[in-house]
Amino acid sequence: MRAVAVIACYNEEVRISASVRDALPYVSAVVVVDDGSRDQSGQRAKEAGAHVLTHIINRGQGAALQTGMDYALQVLGAEAIVHFDADGQMLGSEIPMMLEPIEKGEAEAVLGSRFLGRSAENMPAVRQMMIRLGVLFTVLLSGIRVTDTHNGFRAFSASGAKLIRITLDRMAHASEILDLIVAKRLRYVERPVTIWYSAETLGKGQSTFKAVATAIDILKKKFVG
Amino acid sequence: MIFQIALIAFALFAILKTWKQYQKKEASKYWVIAFSILWTVVIIVVAVPNITSIVANAVGVGRGADVIVYSAIVILTYVVYRLMLKQQKLSAEMTDLVRAIAIQNVEKGG
Repeated sequence: MRAVAVIACYNEEVRISASVRDALPYVSAVVVVDDGSRDQSGQRAKEAGAHVLTHIINRGQGAALQTGMDYALQVLGAEAIVHFDADGQMLGSEIPMMLEPIEKGEAEAVLGSRFLGRSAENMPAVRQMMIRLGVLFTVLLSGIRVTDTHNGFRAFSASGAKLIRITLDRMAHASEILDLIVAKRLRYVERPVTIWYSAETLGKGQSTFKAVATAIDILKKKFVG
Repeated sequence: MIFQIALIAFALFAILKTWKQYQKKEASKYWVIAFSILWTVVIIVVAVPNITSIVANAVGVGRGADVIVYSAIVILTYVVYRLMLKQQKLSAEMTDLVRAIAIQNVEKGG
């Protein structure tokens, strides 16, 4: 199966090479969308062997993922797409496990979860509480029964990915994807994944302020359009 | 009295400005008509304030000034809503454009 990893990347010149090299052995190609980085992220990703697409203006993680998916489907002819991260929080070795339900035809969407047994290494209690609140908020709005709603480790079959059209450019895309899975009636499963929290990745994580902005984006999309 | 003159002068200036924008093709015909009507109403209300009381009595609101405040809140809320939709549309179009440029100019590593 021709699987393509899509990585949205913003100012990750230090970590992007390792992420690309971590994912490459498990997929046919890695697509990095450099979302208007001010550093050498794009160059580093290219050197590591990725297809690099550059947003000339920063449009947000949701927009970058959609760009990568469009390219993977239309140009590379991907049969499956994996959303992977740019900062080394995820493990490339878990990609085959994420793709397995798609290969077996059991699901069109596979969602990684930090709360199904595998470890979310070093996750602070406050972050865990924020995520749990986010899960509750999204489950109530989407009506989807999942244990983790803002986990960036996901996989889609080509048919599933074609039905996912991300319009929320910023962080609210995670909830939008779940909404679309419900609306388009995609078959989905969750898989336990490992997420490694280092001091650096925690430092650039979602602040409470950003979490509120994300919630407003979701509500606006739901009730205004 | 000074306030009335200043408001009428400003309304006339706004009408003139809108028509000039129309002549330069910076504003549409509908925009210039709508704005001209709006500012003409402002001039009438400022010149003959009692007219608002007639409207107030007709629609069942106590005072003329209240009619203006209520109407302004409703109109401004609607304008903000329209601007928000327009801003969202522009943002989505910008993302589409940035995306198309990114896909056209892909760089392959390895």
